[in-house]
Amino acid sequence: MPTLTMVLNGHQTSVEVEAGDLLVDVLRDRLQLIGTKIGCGEGECGACTVLVDGLAVTSCIYPALKADGCHVTTIEGLKTDGKLHAIQEAFIQCTAAQCGYCTPGMIMSAYALLSENPDPTVEEIKTSVSGNLCRCTGYYQIVEAIQLAARKLADEGADS
Amino acid sequence: MNASVVGRSVQRVDIRTKVQGQRKYPQDFHMEGMLHAAVVWSAHPHARITSIDTSRAEACAGVVKVLTHLDVPVNEYGINILDQQVLCEDRVRWLGDRVAVVVAETEAVAREAAAVVSVEYDPLPILDDPRESMKPGSPLVHENRESNVLVHYPIRAGDLDAGFSKADVIVEGYYLTPHVEHAYLQPEAGLGYIDDEGRVTVICATQWAYDDVHQIAHALDLPEDRVREIVPAIGGAFGGREDVSLQILVALGAFHTRRPVKMVWTREESFRGHGKRHPFFMRYKHGATRDGTLVALEAEIVADAGAYASTSTVVISNAVTFAAGPYVVPNARIDGYAVYTNNAVTMAMRGFGATQMPVGYECQMDKLAEALGMDPVELRLKNLYEEGSIAVTGNAVTFGIGAKEPLREAALAAGWREEAGHWKAPEVEPALQPHLRRGLGVACGYKNVGYSMGFEDRSEAIVELRLREDGAIASALVRIAASEVGQGVSTVLAQIAAETLGIPFERVRMSLVDTARAPDAGSSSASRHTYMSGNAVFMACQDALQARDDTLREETGRMHAQGQAVFRGRTARATTPLDPETGQCEPHIAYTFATQIALVEVDTETGEVEILTMWDSTNSGRAINPAMVFGQVAGGIHMGVGYALTERFIQEEGRIKTRGFGEYYIPTVLDMPRELVHVGVEVPNPTGPYGATGIGETTTLPTAPAILNAIHNAIGKWVYRLPADSETVWRALHERRRPA
Repeated sequence: MPTLTMVLNGHQTSVEVEAGDLLVDVLRDRLQLIGTKIGCGEGECGACTVLVDGLAVTSCIYPALKADGCHVTTIEGLKTDGKLHAIQEAFIQCTAAQCGYCTPGMIMSAYALLSENPDPTVEEIKTSVSGNLCRCTGYYQIVEAIQLAARKLADEGADS
Repeated sequence: MNASVVGRSVQRVDIRTKVQGQRKYPQDFHMEGMLHAAVVWSAHPHARITSIDTSRAEACAGVVKVLTHLDVPVNEYGINILDQQVLCEDRVRWLGDRVAVVVAETEAVAREAAAVVSVEYDPLPILDDPRESMKPGSPLVHENRESNVLVHYPIRAGDLDAGFSKADVIVEGYYLTPHVEHAYLQPEAGLGYIDDEGRVTVICATQWAYDDVHQIAHALDLPEDRVREIVPAIGGAFGGREDVSLQILVALGAFHTRRPVKMVWTREESFRGHGKRHPFFMRYKHGATRDGTLVALEAEIVADAGAYASTSTVVISNAVTFAAGPYVVPNARIDGYAVYTNNAVTMAMRGFGATQMPVGYECQMDKLAEALGMDPVELRLKNLYEEGSIAVTGNAVTFGIGAKEPLREAALAAGWREEAGHWKAPEVEPALQPHLRRGLGVACGYKNVGYSMGFEDRSEAIVELRLREDGAIASALVRIAASEVGQGVSTVLAQIAAETLGIPFERVRMSLVDTARAPDAGSSSASRHTYMSGNAVFMACQDALQARDDTLREETGRMHAQGQAVFRGRTARATTPLDPETGQCEPHIAYTFATQIALVEVDTETGEVEILTMWDSTNSGRAINPAMVFGQVAGGIHMGVGYALTERFIQEEGRIKTRGFGEYYIPTVLDMPRELVHVGVEVPNPTGPYGATGIGETTTLPTAPAILNAIHNAIGKWVYRLPADSETVWRALHERRRPA
């Protein structure tokens, strides 16, 4: 069996996988990282979004071995020192989750955006999450939360 | 006394774990020694089963058990009528029927083995149009019935001929609404096992745990107290989790193997395996006098019930009571039919028969306004219910209905002006390019809160208080089996508890929905929990405070006090079934009213419709949590936009052609109105907890007709069938004559 070696949420991780295994199944079933969700299994809904070397990918159609040697970040990797990430705090403040099933993927897409573009326009925010389907919220509070997160991150940056 | 908790947008009780991905949904559960199960689905929309051969599947390495009809103690189920077989024995009626379940050591093995269960069929005629299958002499979907007409509900009010003879203007229309997929993001999943007390236990996402227990116990021929259901986080529901999906299957697996059995459906299986919103074929005829007063209404609704009854009888009885819209019409003849076909089963979906009707009655109102040369807001205000108005079912509509306020507020926000008793629409700023045309459209909608037409509605809650030495409340635990489907019921009930007990919100905890630990609250449907369960929690808190006071007075030294209460809807208003001849009845406990106005831009070259602004005004009664009210409004509009413009569930001769999100387009963030303006209206419902009422469904009712009316305002053409996707709108733009 081939071995997948990656830096997962900051930790060097090795796991034996089958050649055809998908990243989402390795994360969920082998590594018990259940925060990454499966909504469609065909890369259409974005619930399984994780970051591979900073890029948001749909892990339900992403071959696990393609992440070999990469930095992989999942929703479980956003907290630092037990403190929620600014995007997570902003989602709470804006009531930007209802059923919550799309939320981890949505937050990971927002995280990818804000890592690249700390001061996005509303249109850029919408584009960044346009691959993440949500059936509950109508998206307005999500867009608002990402705007708020950008401001929070700017303030954090200014403070440090 | 702490600051009021009710009316504040407190933090949702479930959101901190949700943003961290920690909250567990049914697919996230694993147990030691767990098996996996896969369904063998019907291969035909309508066929006789001539043989089922499981030997090849049983021979696969890793297969533990192949379940067929022979393994189901009582092989029948159904939420209202027991017309479905858990595992089909001799006949299949739609592609969502299940013939066998393979239980194996891994999911891959279960699926591979399911593919080699050999089922032979003798195909039967496929009925895919209720207008055809309702005709006498049609082949039957259920061979023991006389006709495919599951139910016919008439309403007769006043004198129809006399009404039309008074009319100066008559408008007619034929409106078609399609199947709609709930498309919750979390596909069906469940885990069945035998718990430590020997109960058959199911972990799954459901809208009504106690009804599932009832159905599981019936099929397994067990007493209900030998079955337990635990409901963890639910990834959306919208009516699609009101009927059981895989609950009986995983229970059956655990019952036979005595090991935990997990089943997870793919998206394609989810689309295939649960029902849809009913397609309605609606024929409307309205008459009004020159001053805009409605005098007569004739309406006929034919609904596609699909292969099994599910809740179709109740959806159609609901639909006919809303056929006239929120308007006083003294003379009416309304007929609603639900008809069996071999299409997808149709069931509850956000609105429960009240969502299709506004596509008919609200387009009719705009046609009427046009024919009368009247402003559409003014025409509606002239006819809208007031407190105590009489509906076509003969009942007075009351309880702080606030029917007119949302229309006034939305219209004013969108730029309408009232001058000398007349309403005047704003000038729509023209689009920047000549091939783009803009238009404004108004629509109202209303719906019941709570179960209707004599169906007993009750919710039960237990509140446990932990006391300090001095008798102050240290914390409270609310036990109630009210499914948190995402709508926010847990937070609303915690707010009501905190307010009633007079303690900080943070000191209230909500128990898990578990039939072994929490009493029956009824379903997360009919927009009912804020109202019904809110009342139950309010009463249980009062009972707990009384118990606390008794404990202190009697100096028992106890550090706990408990309250328990049942709220029955009939204590607010007793509902009655439709009279079989006239439909006259007291249909509903309470109501919610909403108005939306859409500003759209139509591309006349492509037929594409963009929504620039949507104004919403919904009467929520007292808003317990304004941010969550906004969330329900925005989510309702999302579903309405999909209904209006993008969602097309395609079946051809009973075969499903839309199998996932790549083929069924729910709106993305880019498809939503660029701007949403929500104007809250809070006319209190005197029978609701703190004056609140339920809003979950009404918020989606006006969206589609508002968009259709706006399209007409923009291009001067009526689109009479949903979805108004670009091809449909383009065809409307280029049609030479009106469609029949």
